[in-house]
Amino acid sequence: MENIEALNEIFSRGRVKTDQADLIHWGTDWTRSFEVAPQAVVFPERIDELVALVKLAREYSLKLVPSGGRTGLSGGAVASNDEVIVSFDRMNQIHAFNPTDRIVGCQAGVITQRLQEYAFERGLFYPVDFASSGSSQIGGNIATNAGGIKVIRYGLTRDWVAGLTVVTGTGDIIRCNRGLVKNATGYDLRHLFIGSEGTLGFIVEAEIRLAPGPKPQRVMVLGVNELDDILNLLQCFQQHVVLTAFEFFSELALQKVTKRGDIPRPFSEPCAFYALVEFDADADEEAAIAFEEALGRGWVTTGVISQSDAQAAALWSLRENISESIAADTPYKNDLSVRISEVPGFLSDVDGIVNKHYPDLDVCWYGHIGDGNLHLNILKPESLTIDEFFERCHRIDPELFSLIEQRGGSISAEHGVGLLKRDFLPFSRSDAEIGLMRELKEVFDPSGIMNPGKLFSE
Amino acid sequence: MKVLVPVKRVVDANVKVRVKSDGTGMDLANVKMAVNPFCEIGIEEAVRLKEADIATEVIAVSVGASQCKEQLRTCLALGADRAILVETDEELEPLAIAKVLEAIYEQERPEIVIFGKQSIDSDNGQTGQMFAALTGIAQGTFASELRITDGKAEVVREIDGGLQTVLLSLPVAISTDLRLNTPRYASLPNIMKAKKKPMDVTSPGDLGVDVGARTTVLNVAPPPERAAGIKVESVDELVDKLRHEAKVIE
Repeated sequence: MENIEALNEIFSRGRVKTDQADLIHWGTDWTRSFEVAPQAVVFPERIDELVALVKLAREYSLKLVPSGGRTGLSGGAVASNDEVIVSFDRMNQIHAFNPTDRIVGCQAGVITQRLQEYAFERGLFYPVDFASSGSSQIGGNIATNAGGIKVIRYGLTRDWVAGLTVVTGTGDIIRCNRGLVKNATGYDLRHLFIGSEGTLGFIVEAEIRLAPGPKPQRVMVLGVNELDDILNLLQCFQQHVVLTAFEFFSELALQKVTKRGDIPRPFSEPCAFYALVEFDADADEEAAIAFEEALGRGWVTTGVISQSDAQAAALWSLRENISESIAADTPYKNDLSVRISEVPGFLSDVDGIVNKHYPDLDVCWYGHIGDGNLHLNILKPESLTIDEFFERCHRIDPELFSLIEQRGGSISAEHGVGLLKRDFLPFSRSDAEIGLMRELKEVFDPSGIMNPGKLFSE
Repeated sequence: MKVLVPVKRVVDANVKVRVKSDGTGMDLANVKMAVNPFCEIGIEEAVRLKEADIATEVIAVSVGASQCKEQLRTCLALGADRAILVETDEELEPLAIAKVLEAIYEQERPEIVIFGKQSIDSDNGQTGQMFAALTGIAQGTFASELRITDGKAEVVREIDGGLQTVLLSLPVAISTDLRLNTPRYASLPNIMKAKKKPMDVTSPGDLGVDVGARTTVLNVAPPPERAAGIKVESVDELVDKLRHEAKVIE
C-alpha cells in the first residue's frame, strides 16, 4: 500500500487504478495464455511524471510495464508479476507539424490510425499500416518496430522514425536524432530503442517522417493452386509493376473471414491459396500484362481487380480480417521470416512439419509473403482444452525453430519476442549477441525495472 | 431483349473531395474516378438478366469526356456486350443527358433501360425520370427488386415509409436503389476478353441533340466546419448551455 500512496503522489486525479477489472484490462495484450497479475495501472500525462515514476520505481524496486494499444501478439505488454503498468492512453497529443521537414511530432499514445489520418489531411502519408492500426499506439509500434502490409514498398516503422524522446531506466531524458536527415555523430541510440520492447526505457515522444500522398491504388485478388506458385507470381509481378503490397492467405483463412457473411468471396471458384496484390492504379496495364503472363504459365487460375476504393477495401478485408476471424479458434500463432529467396524451400519444410505433427488440426496460413514473412496459425479443435492444445503445439516448437535457424531466419518477424518467444531467442540470435543485448540493458536500466522478463529472462 | 445501361464516371465514393479555392467547382486533379455506384448496380442487374436468359444483349452507354472509356471498359469486363461513348468535354445537365440518351434509345430500341437512381457527385436524381418523360415509356424508379415476366416488369420500389410494387409494360425505364443487388468484382480473365468487345464513339452533335446549358453555377463552397465540442463541469451548466446557447430547450 505504501507503493500505491507513493504513486498517488505523482499521479493525481484518479490516474492510479487498482481495481481488478482495470488491472486485467490494461495488463494484457492479444495473447490470452499468460497470467495477468499487476499491482496498479498509472496514466502519465507529462514527461516529468515518467521521470518521477522511474525514480520511485528504483527506490521501491517496482517493475514497470509500458502499455500502448495492447494489440501485441507476443505478450510484450503483459504484466504477470506484480508490476506497475504505465499506460500511454493519456499521452495522445500530436503537438507539432512542419510541412518543410514533413515531420510530425507526437506523443507515444497517439493511435496509429490517427497519425495516418492526420497525414492524409495534409496531403501526406504515414505508410506503416496493419489490421490493428485503429487500436495500436505509435509508441508500441516503435517499441516493436511494427511492419504490416506495406513493408514491401515502404519498409518498417524504423524507416519513418526521425527522432525519439525517451526516459531511460535511470530516469534520464534523451532526445535522439531530433528529426535530422543526416547526423553522423556516433552511435544512433534511436535505433536501439526501436524494437527494444520497453526493456531499455519509455518511448515518450516521436518525430515521425511522412511520405508524399500516395497515388490511387488498385487491388487484385488472385487464385493460386500451389504454394510454390505464389513466389513465381511475386517475381512475375515485380518484373512489371512496383508493388505496394503482396500478401497471401489460404482457403481456410478465406472461409473463416467470409463465414460471418458481411464480405463476399472474391470469386466463386475455390482455390488452395490466394494472393492479394496492390499497386498504383496508373500501372494497370503493366499489371494486366503480369496477370496474363502468370495465367499463361499456370501460376494463377483466376482473379479479380478492384474498380473502386470501396471494392479495394472489401478485398483488403479478406486479408486484414483473418486474425480477428480466427481469434475464436484460440490459434497458436507463429510469425516467422526468412530471406525472400529462402521462402519456397522454407514453405515446403514447414508444410512437411505441419503435416507430420498436426495432420488432424486445422492450419491457417497467411502472411506478408513478399517480405519473406509467414504467419502460421494452428487452430484449436473443440475437443482439446487450451492447455492441452498449447502443450501439443509447443512440443514441435524446437523442430520448427531449428528449421528457421538452419535457414538463417527469424522466430519473430514482426510480432516481437515478449514472453511468448523469449526462450527461443537463441534460435535467431547468437550467445554473443544476446550477451551484448543484456549488457546494453544493464547500461540503460541498471536496476532492471523496465519491462523485466521480456525479450530475455531476468 | 436488349438492355441499355447508362453509366456515369464520378469521383470514387471513398475519396474525400476538396472544393477549389476559387469556388468554381471541385478539385479533381489526381483524384480516383469510378463508375457511379448506382450505375454499377444497374450493370450488375442487366448482367444478371442476361445470365438468366432474359436479356440477349447488354449495352453500356456513357456521356462525357474521352476518359469515360475507362468506366465503359469496366462495364464490359463486368459482362456488358458492347459500349457506346457519347463524347463531349462539356459538363452536361440532367436534361441534356436525358435527351442524348433518348437519341440512343431511338437508335437501339432496348426494352429495358436501367439507370442509377442518382449520381453520387451531383446528386441530381432526375435523369431517369426525364428520360422516361421524353420517350414516353413506363418508369419504375428506386427499384430494390426487379422481375421480368411475360412482357411486363414487376418493380418493387423503395418509397417513403415502405415498399411499393408496380407492374409495368415494356419498354421500361428502371432506376436502381442500393438494395437491388451487390455488384460483383471485375474478373481479370473477363477484363482480358473485354478488350475485344466493341466500343462505339459518337457525339451529341452526331446525334443531333442540343445540349446547351440552361443553368449557371455561381459558386461552390464546402459545408461550414463544425465547432469542436466542449466538456461541461455540471448538469446545471449543460442545461444552461442547451437553453441559452444551443436554444434547443425552453
